[in-house]
Amino acid sequence: MKMLLQKLIINYPYVAAAILFAIGVLTVLTRSNLFKKLLGINIMESAIFVLFIGGSYIRGGAVPILNKNNPGTLYINPLPSALMLTGIVVSVSVTAFALALIVRLYKAYGTTNLQRIEEMRNEVKDKCQQ
Amino acid sequence: MPAVITANLPVFVVIAPLFVGFVLPTFARKMRLVENLVIFIEVLMLAGAVYLTSIILAQEGNPIIYSLGGWPAPWGIELEAGSLSAFFLLIIAGISLPIALFARGNLTEEVGNKERVARFYVLYLLLVGALAGIAVTNDLFNVFVLVEVATLSCCGLVSARNQPWAAKAAFTYLILATLGSTLVMGGIGFIYIITGHLNMGFASQELGRIWQDNPNVIWMAFSFLLVGFGVKSALFPLHVWLPDAHSTAPSPASAILSGLAIKGYMICLFKILYKIFGFTLMQEFSVHRILLLAGMVAIIAGSILALSQDELKRRLAFSTVSQVGYIFLGLGIMNVKGLSGTLFYLASHAVCKSILFLAAGAMIAASGKHNISELAGIGRKMPITMAAFTIGSLGLVGVPLFSGFVGKWYLILGSLEAKDILPIIVIIMGSVLCAAYLFPVIRIAYFEPAPAEAWQDPGLSQKIALILLAAAVVILGVLPGIFLKLAGMAAAELLVFN
Repeated sequence: MKMLLQKLIINYPYVAAAILFAIGVLTVLTRSNLFKKLLGINIMESAIFVLFIGGSYIRGGAVPILNKNNPGTLYINPLPSALMLTGIVVSVSVTAFALALIVRLYKAYGTTNLQRIEEMRNEVKDKCQQ
Repeated sequence: MPAVITANLPVFVVIAPLFVGFVLPTFARKMRLVENLVIFIEVLMLAGAVYLTSIILAQEGNPIIYSLGGWPAPWGIELEAGSLSAFFLLIIAGISLPIALFARGNLTEEVGNKERVARFYVLYLLLVGALAGIAVTNDLFNVFVLVEVATLSCCGLVSARNQPWAAKAAFTYLILATLGSTLVMGGIGFIYIITGHLNMGFASQELGRIWQDNPNVIWMAFSFLLVGFGVKSALFPLHVWLPDAHSTAPSPASAILSGLAIKGYMICLFKILYKIFGFTLMQEFSVHRILLLAGMVAIIAGSILALSQDELKRRLAFSTVSQVGYIFLGLGIMNVKGLSGTLFYLASHAVCKSILFLAAGAMIAASGKHNISELAGIGRKMPITMAAFTIGSLGLVGVPLFSGFVGKWYLILGSLEAKDILPIIVIIMGSVLCAAYLFPVIRIAYFEPAPAEAWQDPGLSQKIALILLAAAVVILGVLPGIFLKLAGMAAAELLVFN
């Protein structure tokens, strides 16, 4: 038990990632508010960012800029940070697109609740065809 | 000169559609120009894919390696055009060209004004470019980025129709697909953390050395990737987004979404499972059993769901859910026959489902009726459309001399070789169920009295598109030779790793 706790504390970035991921998935799957679903997606993505960056971190490592005076320095791997920058860009574009869709849905249905929208499907369809 | 073309072909097929896609909005007011440009670039891609295939065939499957920016593999990003890539590129180019032809001059009705049509084509080309990228990429993070480009363009295509329900379908799709791609990114993260490589070849080598030390991380990677790509390619219990998304999209978009987009994610799964984890690890963690089981459940459940739909496009969408099952089933049969069968089936389903969606779109546009029971007698009024629909159905069911038969035949041979009887029973049952949900459409269309309305076949370019695709189904069924050889080479390439 103590061993497990120690492992968890040492690997705190992974624990944080797991907790964030669980919160995100739960929010996406259980909430019917469109905004909350979108927030859940964003939390999930943050969890993965934490996973990548936590995986690249070395305790006591230096910023990866070559230091000629001290050749034995441990450097932190910069690649995951660069990858996550791409990941953040992707996540922002997904968020923007989803927000645009929410605006369109709100204009058509007057609500941001997915269940209410599903109930109203047939009424609004009829309105469109008229 | 030919050497320059050959060396740069893998990157050209990706860059060309992306570049034209981004240039397209500047010509938005001239719709003819936009459409002709799209068709031109599709023809160019098809030529590139055919040329690439001929090179690969001449080299006996030896891949062309392309290092982006001139940086060699462990540091730079690598593209690899082998037989699997050539095979998938051929499918992409061969199907997106007829779909673009079908969309020509036909979109304003479904999508709206000129600007919206131009935007539709932008998304179309981005999707094609991303899929071509998926075909040639050999880098894990590139897989994620290309998958995400494909997903966003797919969602855009779903919401292209100016209808509130289309926005709802696109939103559900976007949320679930992003959930999927986040899982995929997580899976890639686990592989990267334990191997330190994003290049598939290097990651595979490293994984072969260290997998015994980190079985739990590999379990996590497997489950994240399976569920992630499962959501994206609509594997049965994770298919909930598909029926709405594929049935509300404009018909050319439904065709490319059902025919090509979900296949792109499957090709990713093929590559990651076989090129990175490889045969040994998959067997060690019995992933092939999971795939086999998931595939069988999807075939039966998807067919039963399809049977209960009366709306034509929804029935076709549920049929996709069941057909995805065959491909996952084949992924789990780990021998050359089974894998080449599943690749061939992937191609066959791509062609057949595109025909079915395009013909359904033409029928709905001409008659204004969405339900199967209202389409009585349409076969006599729209002979070419309905003939194409019939050929597509025969191909999908797997009647001999049509494309689906060859794929199913090899799947059955593969499971016989693996000494599994259950998949064979499920494959045959799936064919029967497939006939049960597609043939009633044909019966109603041909043998019921038609109402006195002037329904007509669509215009010339639409007819050409349908005829081209129908010819492809028959050719794949009667003379599968070279295509089957390519699929076999791709399967051998996948199995030879590790």
